[in-house]
Amino acid sequence: MYIKIRFPMLLTLLMLVSLVMFACNKKEADVDVVPDSEEVQVTVRLGTDASGVDDKSFNASAWRGITRFYGDTPENPLKQGSHYDYIISNNTDKYVSNLRLMSEGGYSLVIVTGFTWADALSQVAPDYPQQKFMIVDVAGLPNDAKNIMEVIYAEEQGAFLAGVAAALQAKEVGAEPKFGFIGGIPGAVITHFQVGYMQGILTISPDAEILDYYANDWADPAKAKIQAEAWFDSGVYAIFSAAGSTGNGAIQVAKESRQRGRDVWAIGVDSDQYGEGLYEEGKSAILTSMIKRVDAATELALMNVRDETFQAEVVRLDLANSGVGLPENNPNLSDAILAEVKDYEQKVINGEIVVDNTVAAFISAGHLGEGLTILARDD
Amino acid sequence: MNTSDKVRPGQPAYSGQFRLIETLLNRPAMLTLGIIAAAFLAGTLFLAVSGYNPRHMYTSIIRSILGVDPDRIGNASGNAFNARYIGEWLTVSIPLILTGLSMAFALKTGLWNIGAEGQYTVGVLTATLTAFFFPPVPVLHSFACVLFAVLAGGIWGGLIGWFKARFQISEVVGTIMMNYIALFLLRIFVRLIPGTNTYRTPDFPATALLQAPWLKALTNRSELSYGLFWAILAVLFYFIIQEKTGFGLSLRITGHNQDGARYAGLPVRRHITMSMFIAGTFAGLAGAVVALGSFRYGRLLGAMDNYGFTGITVALVGQGATMATVWAGLLFGALQSAQGSMQQKGIPAEIVQIMIGLVVIFIAFQSGMRLLLEKRKQTLKQRQHSGLEVSDPKSG
Repeated sequence: MYIKIRFPMLLTLLMLVSLVMFACNKKEADVDVVPDSEEVQVTVRLGTDASGVDDKSFNASAWRGITRFYGDTPENPLKQGSHYDYIISNNTDKYVSNLRLMSEGGYSLVIVTGFTWADALSQVAPDYPQQKFMIVDVAGLPNDAKNIMEVIYAEEQGAFLAGVAAALQAKEVGAEPKFGFIGGIPGAVITHFQVGYMQGILTISPDAEILDYYANDWADPAKAKIQAEAWFDSGVYAIFSAAGSTGNGAIQVAKESRQRGRDVWAIGVDSDQYGEGLYEEGKSAILTSMIKRVDAATELALMNVRDETFQAEVVRLDLANSGVGLPENNPNLSDAILAEVKDYEQKVINGEIVVDNTVAAFISAGHLGEGLTILARDD
Repeated sequence: MNTSDKVRPGQPAYSGQFRLIETLLNRPAMLTLGIIAAAFLAGTLFLAVSGYNPRHMYTSIIRSILGVDPDRIGNASGNAFNARYIGEWLTVSIPLILTGLSMAFALKTGLWNIGAEGQYTVGVLTATLTAFFFPPVPVLHSFACVLFAVLAGGIWGGLIGWFKARFQISEVVGTIMMNYIALFLLRIFVRLIPGTNTYRTPDFPATALLQAPWLKALTNRSELSYGLFWAILAVLFYFIIQEKTGFGLSLRITGHNQDGARYAGLPVRRHITMSMFIAGTFAGLAGAVVALGSFRYGRLLGAMDNYGFTGITVALVGQGATMATVWAGLLFGALQSAQGSMQQKGIPAEIVQIMIGLVVIFIAFQSGMRLLLEKRKQTLKQRQHSGLEVSDPKSG
């Protein structure tokens, strides 16, 4: 049963249908971009992976920053399509072609987030020297065309505050100062988190006991769950996870434990995870969260483009420029603790306290105890 | 009773909607075109109903096939023509055509190769490993990568073929399961390559790559690679085996009626294994082409690339004919490569998935129609036997 479908036939069909569509839509004018009277017209496109801007994580945060710059919200993106928009790549092999597509679209800025875009960007950027690019969480790309702004974060500073808050909370309720840290896959960035967290705890309780565990996985909550159960049983007061969705296992255990009346906590990461820790009406097992503001990065880049101060270099966001920090609302922390955390924040900002971000620096500061898995590494 | 004149011997006459169904089923090419047109129509309606301008979908597709943006014709501000779109279109189409041929080849022998995805993944894995562990001799290196990937894909498919032939294990279930095994094997083995992090290996040695600088230059820096020529070879291979050799004929006979084939002295078991093996080689080639043509480094895949699954649709549309499968691959390739342009023009990219899904559903209707016709035939025959009516009473 052989059939002969000739492509010209298909094409003709396609064209016929499209002709009809052309005819139908003649009346519709192209979307006209009306620039705000005084503002220079800035346009931006965000390239995302298959999860789009609803990933409740990096992309969502980047999108929030973009919409905020234009006076919109993600729920009501009025200027989407004209001033800003996003393009989803369903497959990693579309990254390069979609980056080129965006680069040829004549936008003021093209944004991508996360290290999975690094290779595609370093391949495309040199071909479009006039196009400005921004990438979040990546530093050190070849940047000969001087058109890439790389934003990284001082994770250790935010984690430091989380450690301070956890230790102060333990002190306030008179709990034994014993804390846990759960990491995803070991690497330099996660080390920032752990070292800053440990330094924060030890600043408040110099004789605190700290345990760490690496799941070697970003998406295996079960592993974190087993570890968290064991730790809480052995008297750990709070667990900070920087492990992607693996960390949700620790939050889950903290919820269950609190439900049974035990005073233990989980600390959220990257975004305010208070909502994920809710176990009863108005009660959350999330003590506080260490926030990494991708939205601050996208907003900053857009402002720089608007003000013609775009920096094609590595920009480090820290406590001083609100790139990292604790959430604005911390219902589980008392006012006294919040005030003290604020003091420490100020001290870090004005340089009185230097937060380490490598194991080597941490050891040379004489801090590290025994038995930590992080000791076996050199990053 | 005038229809009875046209009735072929032994065939009952249909009337009304049944005659329409019969007419459609007898013209599969027209039917397939109709199905595609219906899917486009439905996609257009979806867009229009949800407040998008469907025109942008068509201009995006035209742009990715012809490289010309209809919206920019006569627009002084920008070039209407960009050869890169044509290159990207072909780049996306190549793995779809190959996985489509994979599915189609097995289907000719009556086998459902749902495992093109796994065979593709094994192809990616083998190409990646060969790239790192084969001596970097120019030309030979990339040939070896492709060849080993093709063999690996073949073995991955042939294994299921052998299970099917020897133990009567359903090839549908078998190939689906093998998809996951392939993905996780890839994750295990790619991690063993020194310097691999959570999502990529170090750069491939340059000699392993399929990238063709002149093709890239010709298509304004698209990702088009030497995979194009491998794909053309594969299409020729498919055409010659299936349509010009006795081997292809006996594979088809096996597919048509296994008992008949066995009775005619054909080695049915070997045919099933061979057919799945050859089907796997096409998907394995697709894996090598994507791995070494579109990337400069090996990927630690977190999820499947989905070329194999889209290939199933390609094969269903192409119905086993060589060129029809190629055209179907090019059509779906155009849809997929237009996704970026569509989003740029404010059309949600999901519409492409919706339309591809609709094509599958409409094609499934075809089997339903065939069943309906069969049932009608039985009814008419029964009537004939009971001497009530010779032909359909409604036809008068």
